[in-house]
Amino acid sequence: MKPEILAPASTPVPTDAPLRRGGSLRGAGPRRSSEFLKAAGFLDVPQADGADTMRPGALRGSARGRDLDSLAHTLFLRIYPVIAVVVLVTQIGIAWVNYSDQIRLYKERADLMAALSAKAIARPDWSATPEIYRQQVQALTLDPAFRSVTLRNAAGAVVMSIGDMPRGRTFELIISQADLVAASGTAPLGRLTLAISAEALRGNAEKQAILALVTSLILMLVFVVTLHANVRRHVLAPLKRLLLAMREVEHKRWVPVDLDGEFRASNEIDVISQAFNRMVDGLRTGDEAKQLLQQLEQAHAKLADANRFVMESIGYARRIQSSVLPERSALAGTGLEVAVLWEPLHLVGGDYFWLEEVDGLGILVVADCTGHGVPGAFLTLIVATALDRILHERRLRAPTDILRALDTMVRAQLRQDGRGSESDDGLDCGVCIWDRANVEIRFAGAGLALTTVTDGVVTRIKGAKRGLGYPQRAGEQFASVDVVVPVTPGTTYYLMTDGISDQMGGLKPTRRLLGHRGVTDILGAHQALPLAEQVAALETELVAYRGGEARRDDMTLVAFRPTPEVLPAVA
Amino acid sequence: MGSQPMDPIRLAPTDRSPLVDFDFEAGHLQLRGESYPEDAAAFFGPLLQALRGYLAEPSPDPITFEVGLAYFNSSSAKALMNLFMPLEDAAAEGRSVTVRWLFADGDETIEEAGEDFAADFSSARFEMVREQPA
Repeated sequence: MKPEILAPASTPVPTDAPLRRGGSLRGAGPRRSSEFLKAAGFLDVPQADGADTMRPGALRGSARGRDLDSLAHTLFLRIYPVIAVVVLVTQIGIAWVNYSDQIRLYKERADLMAALSAKAIARPDWSATPEIYRQQVQALTLDPAFRSVTLRNAAGAVVMSIGDMPRGRTFELIISQADLVAASGTAPLGRLTLAISAEALRGNAEKQAILALVTSLILMLVFVVTLHANVRRHVLAPLKRLLLAMREVEHKRWVPVDLDGEFRASNEIDVISQAFNRMVDGLRTGDEAKQLLQQLEQAHAKLADANRFVMESIGYARRIQSSVLPERSALAGTGLEVAVLWEPLHLVGGDYFWLEEVDGLGILVVADCTGHGVPGAFLTLIVATALDRILHERRLRAPTDILRALDTMVRAQLRQDGRGSESDDGLDCGVCIWDRANVEIRFAGAGLALTTVTDGVVTRIKGAKRGLGYPQRAGEQFASVDVVVPVTPGTTYYLMTDGISDQMGGLKPTRRLLGHRGVTDILGAHQALPLAEQVAALETELVAYRGGEARRDDMTLVAFRPTPEVLPAVA
Repeated sequence: MGSQPMDPIRLAPTDRSPLVDFDFEAGHLQLRGESYPEDAAAFFGPLLQALRGYLAEPSPDPITFEVGLAYFNSSSAKALMNLFMPLEDAAAEGRSVTVRWLFADGDETIEEAGEDFAADFSSARFEMVREQPA
C-alpha cells in the first residue's frame, strides 16, 4: 500500500508552481508554511493564494486525525520489514551454526564407529573368513542413523555389504571410511565404508526454521501493538489536541493547549505545546492590542469629526461675532486716533467693544463678560443689543447712566432680577465719552479701569469695583460717578480687559502674571509710534512674555488719543 | 448632639484648577496654584457646599483659609467671593476666622486683587502675605 501521506489524493498539484513565492526557482527561499504542511501531509483542502495567513479549515482534515494515522502506518510499514528481515536472518544464522555442529558430530561418530570396527576386523587373513566378523559388523546397524556398511579386501573387491548404499541424495549421507590395518607400518588389508543418514538432522533444522519464523511473527506482532499503542498515547493523542487548539486559534479563540490529561506527551511535543501556548499568549496580546488600537483610532476619528464640526461651527460663530463688532474706523470723524486689539481665546469670546459717533460724541465701550468662548460670546450679544437700545432708544449719553442701564438690562435679560435664574454671569465694563467740543473725556467704569500714559507717567482711573449683571445682594446698588478726564497733548488713553495684563510668563521663581504695570511699561516704551503700530508691538511683546505658556483669557485693548489737528501739541 | 468630624477635601492641582486642601478637623483650608476652570461653578460649587456645612456646626475652633493663587479668572474671583462671604458671616458671629492672601513679591495683579477682597472683610482677619521667591 502506498501511504496516503506522501500524496494526499485530495490535494491538487499546483499548476502554477514556478510562480509561487519561495519555490524551488528561488532556491534558498524560506519554505512556506503551506509547503511544510503539505510535506507533513497536513493539507486536505485545495490551496488558495495568500496561504501565509491563517485560513479556517486548513487544519480541519488533520484535526480529524486521518493523516496522523497515516503517519503511524508509514512508520510501521517502514520499520516492520527491516525488523522482520533482521530477526529471520538471525534465526537462520543460528540454525545454520547448529546444523553444522550436528553434522560435524555425526561425522565424528561415523569415523569412530568405522575406526573401531576396522580395528576389530583387521586380521591378516580376515577376508578368507569374513563370516567370523559379520556379528561385529552387524552391531553397526544398531545405530538408528545407520544406512550401510561395506567391507572390501585389499584388492578392492566387496567382501561383505549390509544395508543399501543409497543413491542420489548424498547430502543427507555421512560416509566414513577406515582402512583395515593389522599393524602399523603394514599395507592395509582392506577397507570399511560406513554410511549413516543425516535425515534426522534435516527434520530438526526444518523444525527450527518454522520456530524461528513463528517467533519472528510473534515478535513483530508484539512490536506493532506496543509501538502503535505508545505512539498513539504519547504522540498522536497530544498532537491531535495540539491541532484542535490550533484550529481554535485559527478562529481567534485564544485557547492554550492543555496536555496534563491522562496521556503524558513526549518531551518534544511537550516543548512544542509550551511554545504554542506562548505563541497563543503573544497572539492574544497582539490581537487585543490591535483591537484596542482600532478602537482608539475609531475614537480618534470620531473626535476629529466632532472637533471639525465644533471648529466649523465656532468659525461661523466668529464671523457672526465679528460682524457685530463695529468698524475700527468708526470714530475717524471725531478727531480720534483709535487702534484696537481684539483677540478672543477661542475664536469667539466674552470680550466686546463698541465704537460709535453719536451726536458729535465719540462713544467707546469695552466689556469683559464672564466666561469666554461660546458662553462669553452669547453674553456679548446681549450687551450689544442692550447698548444699541441704550444709545439709540433711550439716548443716554452719560457714562454712568449707560452703565446703570446696561446693568439693569443685562440682569433683566438673564433673569437675575429675582425671577429665579441660575445665571451668575455679568461683565466688567468701561465707558468713555469723547467730547470733542469741550475737549474732554468722561469716563465711568464697572470693574474696568481707564489707563492713561503721559510722558511715561501711568494713571489708572478705576471705576466701581463690582461689575454689571450678577444677581444682586439685598440693597446692593451700582454706584459710580462720571469722571471727567482732561485731555492733554501727549496723552494716550487705554481701555483694556484683564486678559491683556493676565499673561502668565517668566521662569519658575519669578513665574507670574505680567500685570498692569508690565503692560503699561510696554505701552510706555512705544508712545512715539502710531497707535496701530503700538498695539502691534504690544501683541508681539505679550507673545514673547508668555513663552511656552498658554493664554489665559480673551483680550481686548482699545487705544485712543486725539489727533494733532484737534489738539495741537503745546509748543 | 456630638459633632461629626467632616471628611477633608483634597484635590490635586491641574493646569486649570488649584490644589484644594480643606482639612476641616484642623480648621485649615487651603487653595494653591491657578484657577481658571472652564466651569468655575462646577468646580467651586461642592467646595462652597462643604464649607457651608462645616460652618453650620457651631464650634469654637479657629479657622484659617490660605489662598495662594498665581492666576484666577473672573469666574473664579466670583467663586472666591462666595467662599469668603460665609467665612465673614461666621466671623461676624464671633468665630475666629483668618484669611491669608498669599502673593509673590512683585505680583501686583494678585496683590491688588487681595486688597480688593480685603475691603469686603470687617470681622474676619485678612492677612496679606508677601512671598519672596525661594
